[in-house]
Amino acid sequence: MSTASNQIQTYLSFKMSEELFAINVSKVINILEIRHITKVPKTPAYMKGVINLRGTVLPVVDLRIKFGLPEKENTVDTSIIVLNIEKDGEMIMLGTLVDAVREVLELKDDEIAASPSIGTKYNSGFIQGMYRMDEHFIMILDIDKIFSVDEVIDVKDFASEGKSA
Amino acid sequence: MEQFKKKFIEEALDLIQDLEKSSLELSLDTSNKAHIEVIFRAMHSLKGGSAMFGFDKIDAFTHQLEAAYDMVRSGKLVVTERLLDITFKSIDHIKVLLEEDDKLSQAAQKNHDFLLSEMSSLIKNDQKGSEKPVAEGVSIAPTADIAGKEKTFYIQFIPKPGIFKNGTNPLLIVNELVGLGKCKVFTFVNDIPELSNLDVFTCYTHWVVLLSTESSLEDIRDVFIFVDLDCELVIKELDFQEITANESLTHKLDESFSNGSKMDLSEIEKMITEVKAEVKTGGEPTVTETVNKNKEQSISSIRVSSEKLDELINLVSELVTRQAGLSLISESINNKDLITIAEDIEKISRRLRDNTFGIRLIPVDNMVTRFQRLVRELSHELNKDIVFQTEGTDTELDKSIIEGLIDPLMHIIRNSIDHGIETTEVRTKQGKSPKGKILLKAFYSGANVYIQVSDDGKGIDTKGVFNHAVKVGLIKEDATMSEKDLLNLIFLPGFTTAATITKVSGRGVGMDVVKRKIADLRGEVSLETKKNAGTTITIKLPLTLSIIDGLLVKINETFYVIPLSSVSKCFEFAHEDLINAVNNLIFVNDGHIPFAYLRKEFNIETQSPAIEQIVVIEYGETHFGLAVDEVIGEYQAVLKTLGKMFSCQDVISGATILGDGAVALVMDPAKIISQFSYHTEEAIV
Repeated sequence: MSTASNQIQTYLSFKMSEELFAINVSKVINILEIRHITKVPKTPAYMKGVINLRGTVLPVVDLRIKFGLPEKENTVDTSIIVLNIEKDGEMIMLGTLVDAVREVLELKDDEIAASPSIGTKYNSGFIQGMYRMDEHFIMILDIDKIFSVDEVIDVKDFASEGKSA
Repeated sequence: MEQFKKKFIEEALDLIQDLEKSSLELSLDTSNKAHIEVIFRAMHSLKGGSAMFGFDKIDAFTHQLEAAYDMVRSGKLVVTERLLDITFKSIDHIKVLLEEDDKLSQAAQKNHDFLLSEMSSLIKNDQKGSEKPVAEGVSIAPTADIAGKEKTFYIQFIPKPGIFKNGTNPLLIVNELVGLGKCKVFTFVNDIPELSNLDVFTCYTHWVVLLSTESSLEDIRDVFIFVDLDCELVIKELDFQEITANESLTHKLDESFSNGSKMDLSEIEKMITEVKAEVKTGGEPTVTETVNKNKEQSISSIRVSSEKLDELINLVSELVTRQAGLSLISESINNKDLITIAEDIEKISRRLRDNTFGIRLIPVDNMVTRFQRLVRELSHELNKDIVFQTEGTDTELDKSIIEGLIDPLMHIIRNSIDHGIETTEVRTKQGKSPKGKILLKAFYSGANVYIQVSDDGKGIDTKGVFNHAVKVGLIKEDATMSEKDLLNLIFLPGFTTAATITKVSGRGVGMDVVKRKIADLRGEVSLETKKNAGTTITIKLPLTLSIIDGLLVKINETFYVIPLSSVSKCFEFAHEDLINAVNNLIFVNDGHIPFAYLRKEFNIETQSPAIEQIVVIEYGETHFGLAVDEVIGEYQAVLKTLGKMFSCQDVISGATILGDGAVALVMDPAKIISQFSYHTEEAIV
């Protein structure tokens, strides 16, 4: 990756309970419609279960629960984004439930504002930066970091801080 | 560089394994030249590789060993027990060196120096011929009588075009030849294309070397030891002394080959005859050696990363699952043509599946070497005379099963050596052969592989087992038990029969650990014994870990697979009976057994059916019931892992994909019992 500030990166944006988020597309493998998810017993609530992705058993997590956001009923827009993430030095594939997939954005690095450094107990390293689009802020996620911790991450603080800024 | 280093270590470990195996074979048959040759070559390759990748310690170390084995090879040194001992110790030490290399710990460094001094003393000693061979009939052909006389060789060295890709510089090899004696080198450059067409990665040149040397044909071949697959090599001894010194011949050769035309052997021979006629000597050329014979052998196996294999197995499993769907559909459509195709595809995919799973299978032979060493070393230590024999070691098992088996088998064999087989004196007194015997036997039977370890020792004293079990409180003094039940006590935790805990097998682990480890591989252990005739331990194993026979059950919307090997019975119960059960105990045919209401354990809140099923699973001596909604039937499941994300739980060991594409979860009976029996612990006691 070049350090030039006008480097263009491509992001996939999506919505989870009224908040907008984005992930670098290099992490995204594909997007699936919501389907039956087999719950694995004795796992945390954000571990939704597993699905059959062309013969592979794919773990599915619910980012909304992971982020402490309210869960919504599944709609036709509910999707599973299949991601390739790095966990403990190993590449793993997993699906993540989101309320709706929005669009692909091409952003220059200097259009992305640094993540708000607010004094919450959570490390703002989970958020790479913020991008202002019209009235909204899009939070660009560092997805590898998010799955490097097992607990639920509270992103509500980031969201409100971002708006008031 | 790191990645090459890694590759080297991998290869070195393979070489060490060969080395270990051949050394063991050599210890049984000290006159076998083939083994000596293998050892020498392995040492040589290790030396070459380690020098290339900067493992200087290994380089220097193997150099000594190689020198020793070179002397053995040429008959200047005989195979002695001491040499073998040093060899084994060195093999172990090389392993340490591979890991630590320059940063040797003090102990390892001491060992290093000790082995080096041992070796050099050995080499010196044996040059004086002071040591006696271990066994008679060491008949390594003496080469001394030919030595000391110069011979002339014709060496044609045609590197393959791709030789550079392996990092070989053919010139170094030619230089090495030049170092062996008086040389006349002819270089053939006619094949080099024009500069515009020249591929810098291709070797276009070949050489003919006429070499007058005191070295033997073997020595010359050793120069090519790393490249013998990458070149065409013809080495021939010419019946002409000091070819290079004969001016008229060299002149002739220069003349005829300076134009770069191909030089072939017959022409040289013709010339030699001519020249010989001039100097009035005669004779015929003798030995011809083409070093191409190893070719087929080395290409017959390739190294594949296990991830690639797993990927292949995944794809094949997927194919098999989808194919099941196709068969279903073709039957329902009932189109003749479609059914024929579906049947063909079924046959092909089944064969494909069997073949693919076959790739992961490796012969039992792969673990035998370490057992042989164990027997050799431990029997020395305990002063017992024991032979270790194997049978059916070409029987194949999944690699992961083999890996999981090594520890339990080591333990069993250790037990046999330590407790089973008597000392030579005792054996002779009892009229047994003074040599004890341990036999490892592997064979197929049905869908299982059996591995048996039997010894001809004193057997297990059932009376002793009984008394001991009473003493440690496993059974009551007045208990009456069949012999079989009594022997099964050995597999219980906290049982060890050794009167005195020895260094060898008293490590706080007993047969219970063996049993558990084998159960983890979905295998079973049984034991037979006869007083003073010996003990046989039989391990029954599945062919592969990737397919299991399971019982498909349903709870709420989710399918679960319970491994069939641990299912003993199924019973039907009314919902109320289960909910109202006292202490979570239910009454079935042979008494009360504890059970877990899985809906509750898995936090499922939907309405349960009026009639539910109890599947009784068996793990070790424990019987445990699992309440499920519905039992669907038997199912052959292709196991898939759940991956890292689910490492937080362990009741589900994997998943499988059903014919309709749904995911079923595979339960781990042992973990289920240990997790869910907490409610009932008091009840069991």
